[in-house]
Amino acid sequence: MTAILTMGRIFRGRWLATAGLCWLILVALAAIFAPLVAPYDPLEFDPLVRLSPPSQEHLFGTDHFGRDSFSRSLYGARMAIVIGFGSVVVALVAGGLAGMISAYFTRLGHVIMRIVDVLMAFPALLLALVLMTLLERSVVNTVIVIGIVYATTTARILFGMTLKLKGEVFVDAATCSGAGHASILFRHILPNLVSPLLVQASFIFAFAQLQAAALDFLGLGLPPEVPSWGNMLSESRIYVTRASWLLLFPGALIILSVFSMNLVGDALRDSIDPRFRNDIKGV
Amino acid sequence: MLGYALRRLLTLVPTLLAASLLVFLFVHLIPGDPAAVLLGDSATPEEIASLTRELGLDQPLYTQYLLWLGNVLQGDLGTSIFFRIPVTAVIADGAETSILLALMTMVWIVILGVPIGVVAASYRGTWVDQVTSGGAMLFASVPTFWLGLYLILIFSVTLGWLPSSGYPSIRDTGGLANLRYLLLPSFTLAAPNAALIIRLVRASMLDVQREDHVRTARAKGLAPWKVSVKHVFRNALIAVAAAFGFTFAALVSEAVVTETVFSLPGIGRLVVQSILRRDYPVIQGVILVIVVLYMVINLLVDLAYARLDPRVSLK
Repeated sequence: MTAILTMGRIFRGRWLATAGLCWLILVALAAIFAPLVAPYDPLEFDPLVRLSPPSQEHLFGTDHFGRDSFSRSLYGARMAIVIGFGSVVVALVAGGLAGMISAYFTRLGHVIMRIVDVLMAFPALLLALVLMTLLERSVVNTVIVIGIVYATTTARILFGMTLKLKGEVFVDAATCSGAGHASILFRHILPNLVSPLLVQASFIFAFAQLQAAALDFLGLGLPPEVPSWGNMLSESRIYVTRASWLLLFPGALIILSVFSMNLVGDALRDSIDPRFRNDIKGV
Repeated sequence: MLGYALRRLLTLVPTLLAASLLVFLFVHLIPGDPAAVLLGDSATPEEIASLTRELGLDQPLYTQYLLWLGNVLQGDLGTSIFFRIPVTAVIADGAETSILLALMTMVWIVILGVPIGVVAASYRGTWVDQVTSGGAMLFASVPTFWLGLYLILIFSVTLGWLPSSGYPSIRDTGGLANLRYLLLPSFTLAAPNAALIIRLVRASMLDVQREDHVRTARAKGLAPWKVSVKHVFRNALIAVAAAFGFTFAALVSEAVVTETVFSLPGIGRLVVQSILRRDYPVIQGVILVIVVLYMVINLLVDLAYARLDPRVSLK
């Protein structure tokens, strides 16, 4: 109940962010119920209707194999959610732990943060590309690679935030009452970082979509047979002059989802502790 | 200031060494014999054996690293498997396209990003601000390659105004007229970055407007436009200058995609093609060059920042 009230407070008067939230819920529903809603099998070839424009039978038209783009888009929503959540989990767990531990144990932190510095010397997509050359193309590997790329920024942000909190009186109080390191880090400091982490998560979710789409387009992301929005765009590239709908729909889905997530992140950021507001760079 | 510059330069060295170590280890992380990996699938056992000796691959890893680093410092990045010429020559071939593309992109970013950001800040809270800020966020949410493909569809296929792909060197034929090949790619590359600059300019203008010296300027009766230009805008630009390091990294990432969309013979496309061709020496070389460039640009940005805002170097 309180959660709904808080959400109401954050999104009141922000009609664009609210619309974004609604769109994201719609995408999540499409992902969950894709097998029930999809009119066709997303992988089924039908050479008779290849490259047919949007119609009542095929809402988003069909691709060069005659596969139904609408069904593929619905399954693509699944991939978007998997990539988004997966990258967020990897980035927040790896980056969050590295950042918090570095700020708490300063000696060890020096070493860890230098490693983060080195990884940040590689531009994001370049790091992802290099890591992907070492790994096989798969959903799990794509998630891990994108997660690692954003773990570096997350580590740096969490480092700064933990450092700010470490000097607070409540930490001294916990130390005096005999709390151990783990208890101070995870039961006293971490709860204060939950909302900034949520904001960071929403921006990572948004960026991960763009990175995954770029990797798919370059042929180094998800395996080609997986129906993701990025793969749909990548495959239709040579047919765009004849079949512009193949470019329009998956692209619009990516843009709407990323835009929505950015709007939600922006709204959430305005509602968190002002001390942390400037630490998180979104769009 | 000089002390600050030296301090920053010194902190760069360990990061650079660590980054070079990562780039070096990259080839060793690929499953299989590094010499076989470097030579590609068509290599004969004799070639592999000779390269193993030449690169000292039979020696301990740290010796190999020092040898490799020594070669790199002398400007030898190895030989491309695919082209059979030195990696430095391959990179030099792509440099013209990429540098011109980067310059044109910067022009777009400045002429689009700064004025729109200033307008958004001056009309804060009105519909003008909402449309520009919202529009900027929307543009930052567009996949680069999608925008590129759509621009090709509109300006090359439908209207036929601009070429859709390739870039002939201005040294060969056509001269500066060849820059029109880079118009669409540079706009594609600029759009998401200009969007970020718009939001940044707006935010820093609003920050500066709240400062005491601006209130003083207003209180002494200075014309509003003079306050905006001389007191707010100039200070707001400092924050924008500081963001250029970040912009460079974003440009490199997106140039990889943009050059692929428009089939430009630049360094970005070279990375992708080398990965697909498994041309590891080229991948290694390009990544190393980009990382060094990125660090140098970050250093220059920091120094410029310290020069513009002397408080920084005193910390």
